Amino acid sequence: MAKLTLPAQELMFSGHSACPGCGAALAMRLLLKGLGPRTVVSVPACCWTVIATPYPTTALGVAMMDNPIEATGASISGIRAALDAMGEKDVTVVGFAGDGGTADIGIQALSGMLERRTNALYVMYDNEAYMNTGVQRSGETPLGAWTTTTPVEGHEHGKIEAKKDMMAIVLAHHPVYAATLNPSFPEDFERKVEKAKAMSGPRFFDIFAPCSTGWRFDAQKTIAIGRLATDTGVFPLYEVENGRYHVTRKVGSLKPVEEYLHAQGRFRHLTPANIAAVGAQVRDGWEKLLTFESESLVAPTPSAAPTAPPATRA
Amino acid sequence: MIEIRFHGRGGQGAVLASEMLSQAAFIDGKVPQSFPFFGVERRGAPVTAFFRVDDHLIQIRTSITQPDIVVVLDPGLLKVIPVADGLRPGGLMLVNSRRPPAEIEAPPGARRATVDASRIALAHGLGSKTMPVVNTVILGALARASGVVSLEAISAAIEKYAPAKPAQNRDAAIEGYGAVRTIDPTTSPVPPVPKVPHPLPPLPEGPIASRPTTSIHTSSWRTLTPVIHLAHCTKCNFCWKFCPDDAIGFDDQGFPVIKLDYCKGCGICAEECPPKTIEMISED
Amino acid sequence: MTVMVLSGNSAQAHAVRLARVQVVSAYPITPQTSIVEKIADLVATGALKAEYVQVESEHSALQVVVSASGMGARTYTATSSHGLLLMHELVHWASGARDPIVMGVVNRAVGPPWNIGADHTDSMSQRDTGWIQFYAESNQEVIDTVLMAFRLAEHPDVRLPVMVMEDAFYLSHTLEPVDVPDQAVVDGFLPPREAHATLHPGTSARLGSFTGPDRYVDFRFEVAKAMERVPATLRLVEEEYKKATGRSHGGAVPTYRVDDADAVLITMGTSTTTARTVVDDLRAQGKKVGLAKLRLFRPFPNEEIRALGAMVDRIGVADRSYTFGPMGAAGTEVSAALYPSSHHPAVTGFYAGIGGRDVTPHVVRRMYESLLSGAVPEVHWEDIEEEVSVDG
Repeated sequence: MAKLTLPAQELMFSGHSACPGCGAALAMRLLLKGLGPRTVVSVPACCWTVIATPYPTTALGVAMMDNPIEATGASISGIRAALDAMGEKDVTVVGFAGDGGTADIGIQALSGMLERRTNALYVMYDNEAYMNTGVQRSGETPLGAWTTTTPVEGHEHGKIEAKKDMMAIVLAHHPVYAATLNPSFPEDFERKVEKAKAMSGPRFFDIFAPCSTGWRFDAQKTIAIGRLATDTGVFPLYEVENGRYHVTRKVGSLKPVEEYLHAQGRFRHLTPANIAAVGAQVRDGWEKLLTFESESLVAPTPSAAPTAPPATRA
Repeated sequence: MIEIRFHGRGGQGAVLASEMLSQAAFIDGKVPQSFPFFGVERRGAPVTAFFRVDDHLIQIRTSITQPDIVVVLDPGLLKVIPVADGLRPGGLMLVNSRRPPAEIEAPPGARRATVDASRIALAHGLGSKTMPVVNTVILGALARASGVVSLEAISAAIEKYAPAKPAQNRDAAIEGYGAVRTIDPTTSPVPPVPKVPHPLPPLPEGPIASRPTTSIHTSSWRTLTPVIHLAHCTKCNFCWKFCPDDAIGFDDQGFPVIKLDYCKGCGICAEECPPKTIEMISED
Repeated sequence: MTVMVLSGNSAQAHAVRLARVQVVSAYPITPQTSIVEKIADLVATGALKAEYVQVESEHSALQVVVSASGMGARTYTATSSHGLLLMHELVHWASGARDPIVMGVVNRAVGPPWNIGADHTDSMSQRDTGWIQFYAESNQEVIDTVLMAFRLAEHPDVRLPVMVMEDAFYLSHTLEPVDVPDQAVVDGFLPPREAHATLHPGTSARLGSFTGPDRYVDFRFEVAKAMERVPATLRLVEEEYKKATGRSHGGAVPTYRVDDADAVLITMGTSTTTARTVVDDLRAQGKKVGLAKLRLFRPFPNEEIRALGAMVDRIGVADRSYTFGPMGAAGTEVSAALYPSSHHPAVTGFYAGIGGRDVTPHVVRRMYESLLSGAVPEVHWEDIEEEVSVDG
């Protein structure tokens, strides 16, 4: 057998009830490969509530706690506190929440968890809308996208607001590590998982999770769409470690954003002017990211300042 | 009162079929009632919808356990869901299938009908090869096979309520009306209904679930099946890496093997295979 | 055993120390605040070896202890009024997940208008969430009930969360002598938690899960059956507590001079103390009155109330919260509990002490006089300018 470029262990079971080609299911599979069996995952109301299948079955080979949609940050603080109180060591505590449960209704609990330096990894799997309830817009739905609550009819043309920059919000809390991950780049994905696992303190992942049902593309295209997202600059891959930026997939010249947009039904209605606006926004974000990277490598960053908070606390 | 139970998969439009049937029955001057079973539908997962019709307001609000008619939007469901459960004696089973109705398994005494709805839907540009949207074809076939509604009412309801491609959907329904084949139990022996295990869940052990989902076979979600042509396989493992269902393992020599009990047929492995050695084929 | 002069809030904190709680999480709100401050001191000095998670809201506070409890830790939180209302979603969650959490609730009015006075509206609004609910009359009862609450909550026949209520200011900020049991005595009474149905790192299991209509009712039925086992388990726990400390508080509905009474008033929390002195005064005047305290509100003590109903012809129920039903929450429950009995005493609902107004001996005496006169409406607002009656 050719050498596997990813850990062989499988801690997400077959038989789960994700849609065919689900990006969020692949994200969980790759995440647990790297984290291993001594992991406790707290999952709010989201697609994964259902993917994990009804009682009495479970789709995870690790411990999984359900929690209400807005409370994942608090739940992982509670899990860590219990493990500390009971002397359980070498356990990775993970919150695995959708974008709505993170960026909208769950942002308070996430902020609280980051601020109190909970020793846990918070994952936002980002399928850019409320998919479990049937594709309603979230704060993470991108500019121009169709959802059932940002319709394309009459005088409406999809979402008119931009996507909320969760990485920036999280970074304002000075986590020990924050990164963007994309299952279309599994080796980069796994490297970040292993890096985060070895650390202690609050950590954050924004995982790109293409959704064929909600984004309107054929299920076999999940990986291809994800690859385009990064190579057009829509979803750049980078990590921030103690304030220092590192772009982990350098794209020499970005592919035209049209290639990404035209591949999905949710952007089908966009006019050339709309596409130009999205393209300008993407280029702007990419250039800023490269600036952050070059600047953070020369100057001390806020979190490296003497007032830096302790790395971790329950 | 006539009671109909629809069995389909998430994405095929079973729920929408029961809704459009309601609108059609209303156009015919009857009083309809339709509602979905709200479970945890995912694209490809089995779903159920219900429809009742009468001459006056319907005074019952429960699931339908003893239908007069069962409509099956996907032939694959016959093997995994007890679709014929509770079908009344002399009731009708209408199935989307290429097979003639005499080959459809049904309870003794049932009338049977089939229509190749997938082919007709695709011919009218409805849905994709992996997921043809067959609901309107089925409605046309149902109008003919059951007489519950008129073709005129079905056509009018589809034109008004189909969320997309109203003309194509209407034409598909008309073709379904013409193409349905029926058979009476008296004219042909009925093959026995295959034994489908009824899920009999255990008593609660507390709110802790610990049985692995490997006990659940998701093969029934699949409409296309990957076949690996090993002669060209380079053992690059891309198919394994990208499978969201962990449905790819390896044989002794390190060649990938599809776990057919779990593969949902998404086609990612075929799409991502660098030498293109994986082919998606139709099993029906 | 040590006698200390403690507030009700300090009594809660000392009970948490003695119970060797492992995870505490709370968010400050008047008049609960001194509980969280005291616990912070106990943790800081090492008197309590607990993880104390300071959170950004009550909702998160209860989520922290729900998740910690789901991992097997002994947990405690405390709140009041709007804080409890914000927790509401998680209050339901805790019982469904069978988390044996103990929560101190300082009963306070709900705004607007803002008011921090004693009022049971906050905990009454949580009465159907699957939590066991105690209302305490004294700081002694607070410390003893919190300790008993952990035994009851973690008992294998129960496995449900418990709220221990104390009236704002009348207990929370009132100092009085309290017998504080020794650690060794409490350790004998309350062993470390034996975790049932919890998660363990390295094990494949899901706590919470989801079900369709086919299974959901089974889980509700399990909670209902556990709740039905509470009265018997409470008797057992209270007996053991008495063996350990020499004290008990009379079960679910302790009574006072009810044997030959013509009229009995049922009270909750601190108004009970005042009412007891009024009973003595009226008895001295030859009026045959008695008193019963609803110490346990959930599960509702049907048996005790029916036994009481069989003895008297007139019952008054003093509610410290307003509900928009036939009478106050306790009055309605008492009436419903009595309905299947063959002997039906007349039941009058009183509203007294809403929003922190004093329930004075005068107010209590008026309630008794109304009951004895026989000519009272079904519902009666005490101690306000204009009496309001509600047609039944």
